[in-house]
Formats: sequence, structure tokens, C-alpha cells
Amino acid sequence: MADARRTFGSRFRRPLIGGAAALLSLCVSLTTFQTGAHAETTLRARLNADILSTEPGDRRDENTDGVLLHVVEGLVASREDGAVGPMLAQSWTVSPDGSTYTFTLRSGVTFHNGAPLTSAEVVWSLERYFRQDSRWRCKLDFSGQGIGNLVSMTAPGPATVVIALDRAAPLLLKILARSDCTGTGIMHPDSVGPDGAFKHPIGTGPFKLGEWRRNQFVDLIRFDKYAPLPGPADGNAGGKAPLVDRVRFLVIPDGSAAVAALLRGSLDVLDNLSPTELGSVRDKTGVRLDIAPTMDFYCLLFQTNDPVTGDERLRRAIALTIDTAGLTNAITWGTSKPNNSPVPATSPFFGSVQSELRKPDIAEAKRLIKESGYDGRPIKIITNRRYPQNFDAAVLVQAMARPAGINLEIDTLDWASQLARYGSGNYQVMAHTFSARMDPSLLFNVLIGDKTRDPRKVWSTEDARAMLQQSMATDDPVARQAAFDALHRAFLEYTPAVVLFNTSRIAAVHDNVKGYRGWAGAQPRLWGVSIN
Amino acid sequence: MIREFFTQLRLNAILGLFLVGVLLLVIALGLVWTPYDPLAIDLDHTLGQPSWSHWFGTDQFGRDVLSRAMLGARISTMIAVETVVVAVAAGAMLGVIAGFLRGWTDRALMTVTDAVLAFPGMLLALALIAVLGSSRRSIVLALSIAYLPSVLRVVRSAVLSIREREYVEASQVSGDSTLYTMVRHVLPNTLPPVIVLATSMFGWVVLSESALSFLGVGVPPPAPTWGNMLSMARPYMANAAWLSIVPGLCIAATLLGVNLLGDAIRDYFDPRREAR
Amino acid sequence: MLAYTFKRLLLTLPTLLLVALIVFFMIRLIPGDPAQVLLGEGADQASLAALRESLGLDKSLPRQFLTWAGNALQGDLGRSIVSDEPVIALIIDRFQLTAVVVLVAVALATIIAVTAGLIAAWRRDSGIDVAVVGTASLVMAIPSFWLGLILLLVFGLKLGWLPVVGYVPFSESASEAVFYLVLPILTLTIIESGMLTRMMRSSAIDVLQLEYVTHARAKGLAERTVLARHVFPNAFAPTLTLVGLTLGHLLGGIAVTETVFTLPGLGRLMVDSILARDYPVVQGCLLFTAVIYVLVNLIVDLLYPFFDPRVTAQ
Repeated sequence: MADARRTFGSRFRRPLIGGAAALLSLCVSLTTFQTGAHAETTLRARLNADILSTEPGDRRDENTDGVLLHVVEGLVASREDGAVGPMLAQSWTVSPDGSTYTFTLRSGVTFHNGAPLTSAEVVWSLERYFRQDSRWRCKLDFSGQGIGNLVSMTAPGPATVVIALDRAAPLLLKILARSDCTGTGIMHPDSVGPDGAFKHPIGTGPFKLGEWRRNQFVDLIRFDKYAPLPGPADGNAGGKAPLVDRVRFLVIPDGSAAVAALLRGSLDVLDNLSPTELGSVRDKTGVRLDIAPTMDFYCLLFQTNDPVTGDERLRRAIALTIDTAGLTNAITWGTSKPNNSPVPATSPFFGSVQSELRKPDIAEAKRLIKESGYDGRPIKIITNRRYPQNFDAAVLVQAMARPAGINLEIDTLDWASQLARYGSGNYQVMAHTFSARMDPSLLFNVLIGDKTRDPRKVWSTEDARAMLQQSMATDDPVARQAAFDALHRAFLEYTPAVVLFNTSRIAAVHDNVKGYRGWAGAQPRLWGVSIN
Repeated sequence: MIREFFTQLRLNAILGLFLVGVLLLVIALGLVWTPYDPLAIDLDHTLGQPSWSHWFGTDQFGRDVLSRAMLGARISTMIAVETVVVAVAAGAMLGVIAGFLRGWTDRALMTVTDAVLAFPGMLLALALIAVLGSSRRSIVLALSIAYLPSVLRVVRSAVLSIREREYVEASQVSGDSTLYTMVRHVLPNTLPPVIVLATSMFGWVVLSESALSFLGVGVPPPAPTWGNMLSMARPYMANAAWLSIVPGLCIAATLLGVNLLGDAIRDYFDPRREAR
Repeated sequence: MLAYTFKRLLLTLPTLLLVALIVFFMIRLIPGDPAQVLLGEGADQASLAALRESLGLDKSLPRQFLTWAGNALQGDLGRSIVSDEPVIALIIDRFQLTAVVVLVAVALATIIAVTAGLIAAWRRDSGIDVAVVGTASLVMAIPSFWLGLILLLVFGLKLGWLPVVGYVPFSESASEAVFYLVLPILTLTIIESGMLTRMMRSSAIDVLQLEYVTHARAKGLAERTVLARHVFPNAFAPTLTLVGLTLGHLLGGIAVTETVFTLPGLGRLMVDSILARDYPVVQGCLLFTAVIYVLVNLIVDLLYPFFDPRVTAQ
């Protein structure tokens, strides 16, 4: 924090003396250049909204996770293909019954405060995540309905941590690596004051947290003693060396404002660009585009309890009117590929079965409608303006279904109201979106489940639940592929939802930035990135 | 001679009538014919520039902008008319009650009016639409509630002077019921200020509807209004300017016409100003 | 004067209480749960319930209202559900920006309106008059956000003179901040000058027909002196009332203009908070704007005697 304060003294300068100050800093940088020290490098990236807190596992959203994952690291981390790789743990073993994981910590890792990493801090951090009033998102996965109940977390040796559950838990590592759980980041106990209140995160990540000025910026300061893993960066795993002295995340809510800032040179990396803004950065000299397919998905959800949309034939008819390829191309301006499967195109489980698109067939749709006895009464489709792709999808689906005699009526809610309707299951059709989950089982898991216990689930049939259990009970890739193939076929048949596409994460990057790459995790990574 | 003929009043009235006439013609034409189906998408011809086949171009889903603007004229106008009718009817009724009965009824109504007026109208409508759900009916209702207090105030102050007039007193003395007096003698005499207010309100409502659409709570798609056409056009401003220019000009021309006509009506009802 | 001011202030209390009641219950009628918005689509029932409890949303409505109103009377408007910042600090922070834009724009619009209105009235039915009235009518017919977008298109994108959108806080660099505020202020100035000009013109025409103006002219005073000393002060009162009403409404938020130019002002804060069901912020903002509205109207009322023709003419 001390060096953060020093570098930020500059903001107190008054504009009048700005010129003099600039002259002075020029002299200073010249002298430092002569003495051999390099000038401070700052990489400026964009956040479309401010972060919610600096405490891993507290108030969070995608932006908060994205920033904090530069500061803290977990035992394991997600790789680009959705698999899990080592991070703070160099290796682990699983007991024969699959319920107990023994992690061996990497040596030579230090926290931002200089303290070495030992099993004590790991257990302290995990216990903090599991405490009574914790808001850590993954806490509830450790239950009977999730991957299993937690039995114990112990530290038998200074470099050994044991996590035991009450049943075989092949998905434990995937859960620990989830970015919406801040990768189960490990912190030093000094992150919390003597009164138990959180101060600031002391992690092991490539950057230390610098100043956070609400609604303006969050600074990350290079951690000089960072010990990177060998090899290149791979998702949130792999080698993550900090190559710039400072990363400044600027809060710029408006897309066109961010584009203007990038073109003016006051921003280096414009991550999370909306496809509609593409036209203004395409073919601009000095700027390159980075387009990476992600694991989120956009879809239509059907309420299978509803008297109208409860009819499987009607749901299938609606699905048959949709030209997924044309719709995806129009909505995402050619940046995403159409996909009718919840398994994202970047997943290793995205095979020949998943990649086949449903062909639009109006004649068949009309036949199904006739069979179902649907009389043309209005069917409400809920959408929102917060996610323009949801809105556009509803508009296009409405227009595409019209020629087949399906009377969809668009009901635009604000996002809060739509979430409430999603939560209670009170809708007929909904244009919805699900954030990236790194495993196909977790993606199917948001759709499949018992409606009577959790109204959010759209697909409650016994066979679907059994198939999902099958996919989670094993980590054999062949068996899992078979389970996902069966799930996909049943999904198309029953049509509890229509998946449309996975979005791409679009970043516009200045040419002087080297090493920036988007990835399926849909979150910026500014380690391994340098600036000239 | 010529200059006297084209005095400002006449020029205003003529221009106003002309613009409103064009609007009504477009609406009438749109009832029987539009160049294309305003709702039909064509994903092969998105963001098409204005051309012979599409005079005003196509939007991001390949829909014909001219056809949408024609249908939008009808929907935007209907919303404005409905809102003005609801707000004026309810406002005039409450205004007459407040102004004629006075006493605690008046005080209670005026306190509520003051409270509603203290909110920024746009945000009040926004919150009301969030409560009622986003539909054409709830937009009309929300805007009516937001504009009602202004009508109430104008009518009330008119009633305060009307109730002192002889024929009102005569009606009461002759044993007519209060209700009868209010409906038969007071209400009709508030008409001139109400008509003047209603014309300017029409313009405000068209603007408010477009602003609500701009903030994302307008008339639900696919039905076009000038407001939601404008708000959809924003991301394409740099590379498809016609998308924002067409509905913007429609709004401006309509409002100009209605406002000019409103001026003429006001001058008609206010002989003192006719000299101008 | 002081007693009158105090009495007027007292009279606003029932209005403010009603405002508070309306605000409180209306936002709770809106479907949607702040806890659900905060935790997102994957949240489970247990953590939703826990969060609602920690936010005090599980209490009965009358109790929530009493707690809130009691704290509000002591100047504590609570904390934002979304960002956990004190509401009062949020409001003051955002209000500064809105206030700068609105005050500058309304001041400019008033100057334009007074000048144009006086000249138009003075040269009634001339070409200048027709031009002024025509322009004013046209300006009144344009949606503010459309004007903003067109100005952006012309000055920001085509000519590249001014930043397209964005904002630099005054604390960062005053000169750059001004640079970013030019377009929003210009937009508001143009929009607001329309009605003010027409109001000024029509009251100036009334005053020009009064006897004492003829009298002043007969005394051989220059036209400029007549306009400045005699016509302006007496014709300004109705315009001042309109300025007050405009100020009261605009200070409560210029949500649309702020959205066009992506300014983090009060209006934007309110719209965002309504959409996020951030109850404390919406309540605080609406209460704040209502107070501002009442205060501005009070100030205008108190200023009115200085400009009232009947008072000055004596």
C-alpha cells in the first residue's frame, strides 16, 4: 500500500502546475533512465462497471472476480479447455473411494506481505469461506444436493492439506477452481484486522491490490516476488508472471465512451466490447481485435408446467421456426458461432452430436402445431434490455415464429424483474442467459433438476436427472461423452429450452500491448501482458 | 398587403395545420398500405442504406424503416391521444371537485398534487411502469398519472374564478344539487384553458414516450414507435445515421405542427393576445 | 420576511411526508428482489434469505418505513444495497455534476431567452421576430436526447472536436472536465431556451404596451435604456417563475441527457437504482429531489417581489 500511495501523489497536482509537474517528471524520468532504472509501465484496461468489494467470497460479480483473480490464487485453477490444473498445490492424490483429496503445496510461494505460504493459511482461508455468514458462492455446493457434505479440512503437515467429503466427489477440483468463487483464493490471515473485519486481500497472485477509487479505477501493483509456474499461461493456471508495474482498471460504463478512449490512446485494453460497437473499432490502425469464444450461453427457456408451453410439440414447433445460424449472425455481428447444445463449442466434450444444428422447418412446425391443438393465443416471451442479445433474440424469435402461426408477445422487463420471474418459474417463454461454467455437467445442472424443489429448473424429467447424475459420477472422458451425447439428444427431443449460441468475448487491444489473449473463462487476464 | 396577409398568426396556423394534416394522412395511409410489412425481418439485408427499394433504408434486422415509421406514427399518436384524454378527464374532474368544494377536499387533493409534482415526472413514470409492467396500457397510465397534477392545477384555478360568477350562484340558489351545478355550469367553462393545455400536453407526451423508450421502458417490441426506433438506432449512429434521423425528424415535425396549432388555438381563446 | 419563509417551510412538511410515503411504498410494489439481483441467477434460497435478513428486508413494511424515516430525519439515508456506500455521500457526489450542468445550462438559456425575447418583442412581426419565434418553436419540438445524439454525431464523430462520451471528474482535471461537459450543457441550453424565449417575448410585449414605457420614450431615453431599465425588469417575473420550475425539475435529474453523454449524475443514479432495486438509494434520491424542488420554488417565490411589475411600477 505504501508504494501505491507514493505513485498516487500525482493526482493531487493542480492543473495549473500540471505543465511544470510534467516538465519535472520528464527530468526525473531522464535521470532515472540514465541511472539504468526503467520508467514505470502502466497497462490501462476497462471495466464496464465498478467492482463491488475487494474481499474474495463477499459481494461479487463478474468484474469483481476478474480483478481479484489477479490478486489471489487457489489450490487449483481452470485451464483453457475447462480442465483443472495446479496452482498453489503442486500435486494432489485422491483416496480410492474418491471422497478425500490430499494436496501438496508448492514450495517457494510467498504472500504479498512476504510471509511464506503454508498449510495453515490455506486451512484458515477455507474455514473463512465456510464460516456461518460467508457469502462465498460455492459454499452451498458442499451439501447433499451438491457434490457432497464437507467432513473436514486439516493440515497434517506444513505443506499438506486434506479435504474430506462424505462421498465420492469427482467435481471437487472444478468447484474449487470456479471463477465466480474467486478460484477459492487463499489469503494471509493478516487480510483481516484484529476485530475480525476485512481490511484488504493479501494473496499470492501476480499483482497486489493498489488504490480503489469508487466509480473511477482499481489499481493493481506488480508483485515483485511472484513465483510463476513454468510454461505459458493457460486459463487461470500456468505461468502468470506480471510484466507491467501497474495495471489500472478504469471504470467506463458506456461502450462508445470506452471505444473513444481506446482510439484516443487513453486506454490500452478494451475488454468486453459489445458486438454492436465492433463497427467503430474494426479496421482502425493501431488497434487489433481479439475474439475468444466463451462458455456462457444464450437461450430460450420454456415453462414446462404451463398449460400452453407445457406441450412438448408446441415447444418443438417454436424451436423448428428458429434459424439459429441467421439469428446468431445478426445478433453477434458474426463474432459467435451458432450452437444448439448447452455444451459450449470450446469444450472437449463438444463432439459431432453436439455440433449438429437444428434445421428450421416451417412445414414440420405447422404440422406439430396442428397436432398440439394450439389456437394462436398469445404466448408471452420475457426479455430485458440489460443484455441486448437477450432482447434481440426475443425480437428475432418472435418474427421467425410468426409465419408458422405462433403468436409470441414480447414482454420487456427490467433485469431485476426477469430474475424474479426466473426464480419463481412464473413465465411461459424467457430469453435468458447463463454465465460461463467450466464443465458441461455444471452447465446442464442449471437446466436440470426437480422443479417442485427449485422452480428455476426447466427440465425435471426423471431420465434427465439420471443422465446428469451419470455425467457427474465419473471422470472417465469416454463415459462422460456418452452421457453428454444422450443428454443432448433428449434435450432436443423434449425441448425444455432452446440454446442459441455461446457469446464471444471481444477485446480491442492497442498494438503496443503484447501477449493479451481472451479465453473461454470470459474474464480479463493481464498477467503475461507487456506494453511498449 | 402580402405582408399583412402572412401575419405571424396565420402563418403559424397554416404551417401547423399543414404538418398535422400530413401526419393524419400518413396515419390513414398506413392503415391500408405500407411499402413492406413493418414487422418482417430480412437478415440478408440488414442496415441497408436508403435506396429506391427502401427509401429510408433498413434497420439492424432488415426491417423497412419507412414502413416502421408509418406504423410508428399511428402508435405514437394513439398513445399521446389516449394519455391526454385520460389525464385531462381525470384532472378536470378532480380539479372541479377541488376548486368547487374547497375545504379539506381541496387541501387533501392539493397536498397530493404537490407531492406528485415534486417528483421528476420521467422518474415517476419509470417507477410506475416498473410496477405495472411494460405495456402500452401501462405507459398511458403512468404518463397520465405524471401529467394529471398539471391539469388539476389549471382547472382548479379556473374553477376558483368561475364559482364566483352569477350563473353559478344562481344555480345553487335555485336548489340545484352541487353535482348538477358542477357538471352543468362549472365544468363546461373550464374548457378553454383545458384545450390549450391539452394541445401542449400532446407534445410533451410524445417527447416523454420517446424518452421512456430511450431509457428502455417504452412500448414493447416488435411494435414500432418513433421513440423506440430512435433508441434502437443509438449503437448504429456512426455507420447507419438514417436510423436515428428518420424518427427524429418525424417527432420534430409532428411536435412543431401540434405546437403551432396550439398557439393558434390559444390566440383564438385569448382575444387579448389576438392583436399579436 | 423570515417569519414568512419559516411558515412556507412548515407548509412543505406534509408534502414531504407524503413524498416519503409514496416513494417508500411504490418502489416496494415493483416486482423483483434486491437480494436476487445482488446474488445473480445462480443464488440459492438459503443465501437469498440470509442476505434479505442482513439487509433488513425481512421486517414488516411499516417497521421498515419507520426505521428509514426515523434515520432520514437524523440525516442518515442508509447505505446502498449494491455498493454499500452511504446514500447521502452517493447523492452529494452525483448531484455536484448534475448541478453544474443544470445551473450553467439554465443560466445560459436564461441569458439567451432574455436577449432574444426582448429583441423579438421590441421588433414585433419583423423578420427577426419571426426567426426567433420560429427557432424557439422548433427547439421545443425536438427530443432532447435526439438533439444530443445529433450534436455527438456532428461535433464528436464527424468533426472530432469534442470527446464523444465520457467524463473526467473536476477533482482530476478541471480543464478536461469542462471539455467533456460542453456538449451536454449545449444540448440542455438549446432545449431549455425555447420555452423561456417565448415566455420572455410574450411578457415583454405586454410590458411594452404599458403607459410608463411610452412615458419613458417620451422623455427621450435611448431605446436600449428603455429596454434595459424599464422593460426587462418588469417583464422578467413570469420568466423567472418558469426558470424556477425548470431548475426544480432539472436538478432532480437529467436522466436522459446523462444517459446520452454517459455522465454519472443524479438522474442516472436514480434510473440505475430503480433497475437494481437499490431501495435505500432510490428513496434517498427521490426524497432529495423533492426537497430540492420545494426549496427552489420557495426561493423563486421569495425573489418574486423584486421583479413583480406592480411592486416596481409604484
